[in-house]
Amino acid sequence: MIKTQQGIHKSKGGLIRSFVSAENGKIKEISISGDFFLFPEEAFFKIAEELKGIEAKREKVQQKIEEIYKRENIQSPGTLPADFMESIMKALEE
Amino acid sequence: MEEWRFIDFGIVDIRDMMAMDEAILKAGEENTFFFWTPKKSIILGFFQKANIELDLAQCKDYTITRRISGGGIAFSDDRCRQINYGVVGTIDNELFPMDIVESYKQICGVLIDTLIHYNLNAAFRPINDVVVDNRKISGNAQTRWEGKLLQNGTLLLDFDIEEMLRISNIPKEKFMDKKIASVREGLTWLDRELGEQRDMIEIQNVIKKKFEDRFHVRLISGSLTGKEKEFTNSLLPRYYSNEWVYR
Repeated sequence: MIKTQQGIHKSKGGLIRSFVSAENGKIKEISISGDFFLFPEEAFFKIAEELKGIEAKREKVQQKIEEIYKRENIQSPGTLPADFMESIMKALEE
Repeated sequence: MEEWRFIDFGIVDIRDMMAMDEAILKAGEENTFFFWTPKKSIILGFFQKANIELDLAQCKDYTITRRISGGGIAFSDDRCRQINYGVVGTIDNELFPMDIVESYKQICGVLIDTLIHYNLNAAFRPINDVVVDNRKISGNAQTRWEGKLLQNGTLLLDFDIEEMLRISNIPKEKFMDKKIASVREGLTWLDRELGEQRDMIEIQNVIKKKFEDRFHVRLISGSLTGKEKEFTNSLLPRYYSNEWVYR
């Protein structure tokens, strides 16, 4: 049984809640929600989608999110890729 | 002087309102400023999850939907002491800045000018709040689409903190008094600041006037176009669906 834990991190732009589980050192299930802002909104879903299977390590997670930000031209006032990473890592460390 | 459209939707079902909101952004052809008054309801931000934010068993008599912009819950009780507005504008880098925080600041300026009219110490607090003496009195949410922006926001005239906490997904048994005190510390509303209830129409008229002054335009009462109504109808099923609200 793999436990899915919640990680909460507050950025200047809002609260980020992550529910994440890992298996064999890789992210298995992940869902992110919260009251932050991010444009374009639809691009947000790619973050959770593409983090599945990524090594559950700070650098790897942040690198992936930064890559998606760049490719999708994401803007999120007050929230950085590192803020999403912090929320995700808190869930994993729980 | 340039003329922009103004619409007062009156008391509305938020599912219908959020569909019209999106239609004005995506099917509208002119800059528009509008007011609406929601019935007892909860509007989730685009990235929120209903079961995480809300105590759903306590929300049975609330209409719940989701909007297309981010941010937090917009909660309306049945007292209707809340002014909700919407602005749709073409991002021109003058009236509506490209920079997101600057554009929030510009539109929130209308509410700040209104509060200053009532002799209150109002200010913009980045990213998207208006505060009076550092207490939040207005929350605002913006989204963008094809060179246009849509900003929705609320100016609280009255607010039921206990009811808001009752529907929130927080442990209810403990520290309720502390929680109420802490919300009272961080949030405020116009009736409390003024020590009396002002007529809502009067306040709306001040806001309209401050909007016209700030944007150097005249607001002309209008209604939705045929194209906007058609687009609204095509969006309604989504705003009424469980897939959208409880995803």
